[in-house]
Amino acid sequence: MTGFVLRRLLAAVPTLIAVLTLVFIIVRIVPGDPALVILGDQATPEAIAALRTRLGLDRSLWAQYFSFITSALVGDFGVSMVTGRSIMAEVGAVLPHTIDLTLASMIFGIVIGVPVGIWAALHRNGVVDVAARVLSLLGLSFPVFVSGIFLLLAFSLHWRWFPVIGSADLSDYGDRLHKLVLPTVALGLVMAAYITRVTRSAMLQSLGEDYIRTARAKGVPWRRVVWVHGLRNASIPIVTVVGLYVGILLGNSVLTEIVFNRPGLGKIIVGALNQRDYTMLQGLMVIYCFLIVVVNLITDLLYGVIDPRVKAE
Amino acid sequence: MRGFRAALLGSALAVASAIGFNTSAMAQGQTLRVGMAAQDVGRLDPHFAVSTIDRVVVAWMFNGLVRFKPGSINPAEIESDLAERWESSADGKTWTFHLRRGVQFHGGFGELTADDVVFSLKKAGTAATSAFSADYRALETIEAVDSHTVRIVLRENIPSLLGILTNYAGGYIVSKRAVEERGDTFVRNPIGTGPFALDRVTPNQSAELVAHAGYFRGAPQIGRISYRFIPSDASRDLAFQNRELDVNYGRADQTWLNRTRAVPNTVVDVFEPGELAIINLNTNQPPFNDIRIRQAMAHAVNRAELVRFRGQDVAREGQSLVPRGYLGFSADNGLLPADPARARALLAEAGHPNGITIRAIHTQLPEMLNMMQVVQQQLRRSGITLDLQVVEHATFHQQIRQDLSPMVYYSAARFPVADIYLTQFFHGRSRVRTPTAVTNFSHCDQADSQIDAARVSTDVEEQKRLWAEAQRILVQNVCGVPLIETLLVFARRADLDYGYELKGSMSLGPLITEATRLR
Repeated sequence: MTGFVLRRLLAAVPTLIAVLTLVFIIVRIVPGDPALVILGDQATPEAIAALRTRLGLDRSLWAQYFSFITSALVGDFGVSMVTGRSIMAEVGAVLPHTIDLTLASMIFGIVIGVPVGIWAALHRNGVVDVAARVLSLLGLSFPVFVSGIFLLLAFSLHWRWFPVIGSADLSDYGDRLHKLVLPTVALGLVMAAYITRVTRSAMLQSLGEDYIRTARAKGVPWRRVVWVHGLRNASIPIVTVVGLYVGILLGNSVLTEIVFNRPGLGKIIVGALNQRDYTMLQGLMVIYCFLIVVVNLITDLLYGVIDPRVKAE
Repeated sequence: MRGFRAALLGSALAVASAIGFNTSAMAQGQTLRVGMAAQDVGRLDPHFAVSTIDRVVVAWMFNGLVRFKPGSINPAEIESDLAERWESSADGKTWTFHLRRGVQFHGGFGELTADDVVFSLKKAGTAATSAFSADYRALETIEAVDSHTVRIVLRENIPSLLGILTNYAGGYIVSKRAVEERGDTFVRNPIGTGPFALDRVTPNQSAELVAHAGYFRGAPQIGRISYRFIPSDASRDLAFQNRELDVNYGRADQTWLNRTRAVPNTVVDVFEPGELAIINLNTNQPPFNDIRIRQAMAHAVNRAELVRFRGQDVAREGQSLVPRGYLGFSADNGLLPADPARARALLAEAGHPNGITIRAIHTQLPEMLNMMQVVQQQLRRSGITLDLQVVEHATFHQQIRQDLSPMVYYSAARFPVADIYLTQFFHGRSRVRTPTAVTNFSHCDQADSQIDAARVSTDVEEQKRLWAEAQRILVQNVCGVPLIETLLVFARRADLDYGYELKGSMSLGPLITEATRLR
């Protein structure tokens, strides 16, 4: 197991370097001068040139690339061009908020999505199935900035159960949990809708297999057939979807963060892009890429737990 | 009986004083929550604070040698700040400032001295350490005469020396020791002398400020300020309605204004400076190298309609190529009126009887894009088809400085003296793609001599005459078409008293002073 994990992590190094290189190139291809963004529209060309020198942007691209890669490989992503703060410190300050929201939404999505998906599969074309399909379609088509505003109007403004400003004090766990509820529901509903549909179709496929018929013929109780034989075999696509979705949530929850006023990685990425904060973008991409690698690794390990044949391979 | 009364009176006084004490203690502990349309703050070194988000907060932490009277942007009302008095030589080139004694920097960085002032002004005038260095070119020497006296000698006269020493842009005074000790980290750990000191910045969340107990005008009545970054307008408005914010950055939009005014216990402040939007026409490039096409553009624009679109309470028509209210503004400039028929005739005369198509680069920022789309429809009525190439905002700024767009929509507010606006936008030295470029997108230089002469003139009336003449020349050459001026809008709880009447603020947000209180 340890060997497998190490091999996977090592295999991720070329991916990380490729991502780093791509990010380095892309942020420099996009028009927009960071020095101009930082200094504003009254800055003279002299001031802009001075800042470019200070930021190291006057060096050749090769020199910039070399120093970026060598620093990144030892875990030093430098400082933000805009704020002058360490990138690790900036990311470290918001990462717990992102992880909170991602995990909570994932749990919410699984807890709602899996049972509803199974239920819909067991009542194929029945009222429950149609309702689940319509609701999941609604969940998928409702953007977070719409559902989020509805949630705020109802639960913050009307009933006053939750605050509108969702940025919590990390050291106060009660506050953290309280302010996590509405964003989790907004983001988790989309995930639940997605998982419902995948679970339903995976279960329908699984329940039609020969081993299910065999199990039923042998007199295995229906509940056990569904939850052990059916669900276990349907779990691979569900885990794949959850793994993929968690990866997306890590960086793409920016709309939820904006609507609920929460700090997070997505918001930092958008801010860095608007301000052409090259160093911040590069650092964020490495961290994001690393998180994706870890999530994929966990997904692969779960495959082994669900299906022993994968472990054997 | 007398003893009983005395005891009763004593008890009552004790209770009253205790209540009084507690009220005072409560006031000291009050937190003012300000919601700002921002992802985060940028640089809090005041000499690098260029965005509205940064300017608003540095104004609470720093002072200048002099200041605009709180709530005003009238240069005639500039008053003493860190300097308690000053005098100038007969020729106006040597100025001596006498500093207040006992002014303390935040965080135990000691008393303000002339060394701090000399250091700050030199820093503000150096390109590597300030975004506003161009404003300080005329300063020849800045020296400390003694620990509390500073002498400034000018190379040449400028319209307002006091103007560049106010609590605005490069005029803020920083702690020399703090800048030297903190180096590059000063941008997020600034030290000033203002009523509030920075406590901490939580990225993506807020900047927290605490009252500066040793503030030279007296300890602030507000204990803390929580400056919260809330980029979503809808969420910020909901937070304000939910009483999670005391002050809310508003939208310069009549619908927003009307809706917010209807919120109970709310006051909406609309204040100066107005940001003047101008369509700058590149007179060096086709099609605008033909003055008839430029005149057609000017006739095609209907400013009254634009004001109605933005809102009568938050916008007003642009009347010149300098915003209204600036020293030297003149509306007597021959601005062409809206006249689509005349615009079509001019186009035909210029060889475009079937109209003309113009490609222009424009930003995707909603408030600028919306306005440009209205202008696009107005131009269409006169036979001008505007093909908008919408790009991201930073890209827009870079591309317009590369002359990639023959017309540039630009909206800005500057120090309220005509010289700044005219120099930055319409002086030959400020043309884009030149070593001395600022924001002259029209490439006009026809009024250079008037602008230069006005800048060094010591006769105020002569100065005003020259600025008026410069505006007339530029308007008649149609270097740009003024559109509208948009005012600043902030909402606040009715029980928040700024301690002054908010009519204007050069920091683009309400000043929170020692007198500001939550009733």
